[in-house]
Amino acid sequence: MTVADASVKNILKVFLKIGTFAFGGVYSMLAFFERELVQNRKWLSQEEFAESVVMGQLTPGAPIINTGIFIGYRLKRLKGALATVAGQVLPSFVIVLILSYLYIRYKEIALLKAVLKGVGAAVVALIASVVYSMSGKLLKEYKGILIAIVAFLCLAVFKLNPIGLIVAAGIVGLLMSREEQRNGNL
Amino acid sequence: MEIFRFFWTIFYINLFTIGGGYVMLPLLQREVVDHYHWLSNKEFVESIAIGQVTPGPLTIMNVFIGYKIFGFWGALGAVIFSYLPSIILVTIASHYYLKFKNSWIVKASFQGIRPAVIGLLAAIAITLGRASIVDVPTGLIATGGFAILVFTKVEPTFVILGSGVAGALLY
Repeated sequence: MTVADASVKNILKVFLKIGTFAFGGVYSMLAFFERELVQNRKWLSQEEFAESVVMGQLTPGAPIINTGIFIGYRLKRLKGALATVAGQVLPSFVIVLILSYLYIRYKEIALLKAVLKGVGAAVVALIASVVYSMSGKLLKEYKGILIAIVAFLCLAVFKLNPIGLIVAAGIVGLLMSREEQRNGNL
Repeated sequence: MEIFRFFWTIFYINLFTIGGGYVMLPLLQREVVDHYHWLSNKEFVESIAIGQVTPGPLTIMNVFIGYKIFGFWGALGAVIFSYLPSIILVTIASHYYLKFKNSWIVKASFQGIRPAVIGLLAAIAITLGRASIVDVPTGLIATGGFAILVFTKVEPTFVILGSGVAGALLY
């Protein structure tokens, strides 16, 4: 699979699959994106994927939908973007509609709770595996590793705002490359 | 018309909140529960639960809210007005981003942002792990799932489905 296979129809197919099976919210969906689009189909490079994640976070609305739109637009402009939204939203729309109906009727369902407990644990494994595969490819020098560790601590320990952290990391990147340029000019 | 007021509420909340479902929750609660009294607090919590157990983004919970208040048309309108702001804004942003991608500023800032994203994802894995890995069976599912995903080519779909089945059998 290469970028040449990324027709509107194929984009819709992939995102329907993502939309159907990505339980567990935003971060497990990111894991699916990475597997399907970067590793399996090779429509995006690892770096383009990281860019898309950031774009999704920095724009208003649901980040995961925004990341999809950005990827779809990159591959096939407006039609590609619309295909990603349709693919991601349709399956969950139908499922929520059915669940709403059942939920309002029957309230508590024990089996559903048991299933969710198992799924919840697997979601954590999925995110950890994405961290593993992304860091192998993107963290090549000590500055990058340092930024990753600081960002991790800021969120895990100090509970700082993720959007603020991404903006701050961008500024650090700017300062770093100015420094590099200045050193290069000397 | 009450239903259009609901659509407008969904539209502008999605237009002005950056950062996703959890950022949106306080605003949504204020409008839907406190201001318009469409739902009680308990019903609002139920809608969050529905959003979390279904595939797709958390904001799909708006469909549940729409259905609960206005039936099918409320649900349909909720899905359209949840994602319309994204379609408009992100398409425009993508257009300009791809045009100016090679500019120095964009390149340089992503040099810092990319590693930060990895750190943020790692932190989220731990936060979620604390909530969902609560005993030996869930611990086994998580470590087993991680090993399968990292060392084999098995698709995440099967890992998710398999652990759902495991959950049903174990509990």
